[in-house]
Amino acid sequence: MVLAYKLIPHLLAWAGIMLVLVRGFAGRRKFAAIAGSIGFAAGAAGTLVLLQTLKGDTPFAVIKILLGGGFLFFLVISVVALYRSSERSASAPAGRRERLANSGICAVSAASVSGIAAGAVCACCFTGFQNIFALSLFLAAAAAIMAILILVMENLLPKAFVVSPSGLAAAVSALLLFSSSSLPRLDLFAPLTMKVMKFTHDFVHQFFESMLIPDHMFFTSATWNFIGLLFGNGVGFWGGLFIWFAPMVLVIAALAFEQIPPVAHIRQGAQRRKLMAAAVRARRLRLIVPMCAAIISGGAVYESNFPSVEYWDPKPLIVSANPAGEIIIPRKGEVDLEDGNLHKFLYKQGGKEARFFILMPPSGELTVDLDACAICKPDGYGQAEGTVICYYCKTLIPLETVGKPGGCNPVPMPFTVKGDGVHIDGVSLINTWSSTVQSTARIKGGGK
Amino acid sequence: MMRLFRHIYGFLASRALTPVVMGMFLFLYIGLAFFTEEALITLIGLVGSNVFLIILFALIPLNMGVRLLKEVKGHFERRRALLGEMERVPQGLFDETVAVGGAPSFAEAERRLAASGYKIHVSGRTLSAWRGISMFPSRALFLAATVCLFSGILLSLAGRSSYRGAIMEGELLPSQSGQATDVVERITLEPAAGPILSKVLTIETRPLPPDRGGATYGLYPPARYRGAFVYPRYMGIGLYYRFTAPDLPRDYASRSLLGIYPPGKEDRRDIPDSPYRLVFSMAQPADGSDPYMTGRVTIAFKLLKGKDLLMSGSAPIGGEFSRDGYRLAFPDVRRVVVTDFILDHGVVPIWAAAVLFVIAACVWLPVRLLSPRREMVFISSKDGVLHACSRAEGRCRKHAGVFHDVLDVLEAAIV
Amino acid sequence: MAANIIETGGLTRSYGDICALKPLDLLVAEGEWLSVMGHSGSGKSTLLNIMGGLDRPSAGSLRVGTEDLLALTEDGLARFRREYVGIIFQQHHLVPYLSAVENVMLAQYFHSVPDEAEARSALERVGLGHRLQNRPGELSGGEQQRVCIARAIINSPKLLLGDEPTGNLDHKSTLMVMELLKELRAEERFTVIMVTHNQEVAAWGDRTIYLDDGVLVREERNK
Repeated sequence: MVLAYKLIPHLLAWAGIMLVLVRGFAGRRKFAAIAGSIGFAAGAAGTLVLLQTLKGDTPFAVIKILLGGGFLFFLVISVVALYRSSERSASAPAGRRERLANSGICAVSAASVSGIAAGAVCACCFTGFQNIFALSLFLAAAAAIMAILILVMENLLPKAFVVSPSGLAAAVSALLLFSSSSLPRLDLFAPLTMKVMKFTHDFVHQFFESMLIPDHMFFTSATWNFIGLLFGNGVGFWGGLFIWFAPMVLVIAALAFEQIPPVAHIRQGAQRRKLMAAAVRARRLRLIVPMCAAIISGGAVYESNFPSVEYWDPKPLIVSANPAGEIIIPRKGEVDLEDGNLHKFLYKQGGKEARFFILMPPSGELTVDLDACAICKPDGYGQAEGTVICYYCKTLIPLETVGKPGGCNPVPMPFTVKGDGVHIDGVSLINTWSSTVQSTARIKGGGK
Repeated sequence: MMRLFRHIYGFLASRALTPVVMGMFLFLYIGLAFFTEEALITLIGLVGSNVFLIILFALIPLNMGVRLLKEVKGHFERRRALLGEMERVPQGLFDETVAVGGAPSFAEAERRLAASGYKIHVSGRTLSAWRGISMFPSRALFLAATVCLFSGILLSLAGRSSYRGAIMEGELLPSQSGQATDVVERITLEPAAGPILSKVLTIETRPLPPDRGGATYGLYPPARYRGAFVYPRYMGIGLYYRFTAPDLPRDYASRSLLGIYPPGKEDRRDIPDSPYRLVFSMAQPADGSDPYMTGRVTIAFKLLKGKDLLMSGSAPIGGEFSRDGYRLAFPDVRRVVVTDFILDHGVVPIWAAAVLFVIAACVWLPVRLLSPRREMVFISSKDGVLHACSRAEGRCRKHAGVFHDVLDVLEAAIV
Repeated sequence: MAANIIETGGLTRSYGDICALKPLDLLVAEGEWLSVMGHSGSGKSTLLNIMGGLDRPSAGSLRVGTEDLLALTEDGLARFRREYVGIIFQQHHLVPYLSAVENVMLAQYFHSVPDEAEARSALERVGLGHRLQNRPGELSGGEQQRVCIARAIINSPKLLLGDEPTGNLDHKSTLMVMELLKELRAEERFTVIMVTHNQEVAAWGDRTIYLDDGVLVREERNK
């Protein structure tokens, strides 16, 4: 039952992909359906094997690269589509392009790759599942049944509803991203916002240096606050949204501004207008798929920002230091520090406080870290599915790397393990917390 | 040879060239982002030091330049066509071209076009009509701006060099060659009244020997010194201090450049061959004034011996602090501006590009909204064929309707 | 001999117990001008409406051009009316708040896409080039009917139907409208079917048929 519930969004996405593939390659619909289903099964089986053989984040990284590559490919298609539609002279019908788009090779390749990606994303729901053969068969069967249903349903759609090549790419990309965004470890939007934030920060710095613009001390505070917006968390989100939707918008623009075929050679006015009206109508119908794809992409952003995954985030236990200023936490006391879960603690001293956690990662060695990193605002961390997530920037940190400094990793604290438990220096804890929180607060929004 | 030249020209004039090259750099950036946190800096460094990448980047301004020339050529060819100086219109010059058999009279067509608001020109076997303002000037400005922008970036990437120096009152202006000839007379920091800058920095120099007039360097736009842009980075003070300790054989005196502006920032100096360290900062005056502006500087200090704090205190410039055999005097302080001297030939083209972009936008927007250019030409060739061409930079549907209507009229005239 | 554009076989229309049109067999040649006469209630308008796709017969067969009207769905009939038929009524049914050229563009809009230049051209052909921007209320009866003609022919119909188009016009305007229709028919070569109770108007046609109580009682060729 839980299995089926997990599968629903992915199978729905797969159904959408199948529908646009079958309608997009109308002359090769059966080829597309079969190739897609085989691709799905292969992608799912391959991923399940990868998950079993490679530990940590590597299998997810591979699939993210595949999805990211697909997104970039779609971006290229959207730019080409806009470029072609913005050519000034009314061009002759692109027969060669149309033939290529409807060729069997194209249909099989597109369907297979989409199927592999969709199957891989689907299989990532089932980390830790032992019987991969049975699961692969189940997923393959589910995909095949869905493909058959779609083949039947597609016949019921009106013939006028056409999927253009760029619309097909838009829909497949959007559905794959929607499917992957429901899994935090495959989400691309959150890391994209971080990269955009970093790029914007670097670009603005570089721009100021290159254009010899005076340093911030010479600006009025109003001006600097305005410039400071570019260093905030918001710029990552909005910049990420811009990039996320850019290919979709380009495809919609390309279709909306597509030139109507020349009709000047037709001397009868009513016939000319009928041709123009038919072209305008066909153009509008071709817009349906990319617009739906844009909405689905919006859904993917929503899933990324509000994941349905439950994070393990215990209420911090209050601890105190002994007269020597040491905090001692027994390994198996009120909480079992070695159970693999995140355990949070709060220490207060002299009007200041510090939040930290202790975790036993897969390496088997305890780690003590601040519940904050050196970059983001100290919103803290949660734990789920083999990772720890920064609540501020939504970066996922694999458990294997918790305890190592850098990036958005929690700031590690020195500690010792003795017979009576974990020993942490209280003053050092407070000072490190204060300096970390101060430095992140100094940057507006606390972002990178 | 001509064929090769045509291929090269076609490649350089292609609309796809710039997006493809920019796409390549985008993918390079994305690839670098996987391996380093400083992807942009790395990319800039890589492009600047790699000949192939420089050449690849250079294709962008070259492409824009060739397209500019192509559009200029196209614009003047269209003018010639509209003035009836062409027998045949080259392919691609207009948006829509159609050939109709026959050699009609243009009278009725002229009347229709005039009624639709078009200006008419008839010459020989050509009827042309147009209305609106051409976007060619804004387009040319835009392309020129992109040439300037990318050329500027290219020059900057490939040829930017800089050196940093401290400009101190009373001292020579730093020079990379070491042959400085100008003395810094005065550095002033004053409040500014505008909405953008809160302070204005001025550096006045005089030549040594005084065989010419002095120079003044400000904040923005930066002035040039021996071809290099003078780019102030941050302020500090050149503090001359004298330190005496009971266990030191002699007084220690030094003029140090301290980065202790604005008040609150600390800078430290070790006393050589001793365990002493001085930590300096600038005291914030009680009246809230800026000591750098007023010149009324009070130096706060901490004296450390090893890790231990021995004493702390403050003294104004010209004063001294003494306790327990320790004495610290601040006879003199001078204003310092730590400055980068940037040799970059790309800055001016980039500024020029910004200005051109703004002008192009100011020209384009009202023309596009209010009166876009629409043209049509009907050429009755000697072989009895009427060639009709149409082009619209906006309001295309309405213009196409008029074009088709005139074609109907001309065809009716043929029949 | 021109092919037949309209063929009816046993065409009937009943409204409950009332039989407005009794089984009618009629052939209309392509390009012909057919006048339909009869007293009030004789079934002339019923026949016109059925031929124009505005009404469905109760029985019989009806072929207009290549279209079997009885086999068409509602959407098909709407398409047939848009592309095949132009209708001029006795009441002009022009949109009062739109100008003459806009009224003609409205017909283009429902057919395909509006084209102002073509609409202006059509109005110039019917002699209203100087009244393009006037609203129907600012036009005389004859001018209004001429706008209706422009509206009816703008989509190049094969069939132009007139239901007493000159019923509300004076003699001079009637003549003007009829001359115009004759000229346009010669240029565009559409088939005209005109219902009228005016003998003079009927005489403009190539042939006149007489209906009485839904029955075709007489038919004669006009000179």
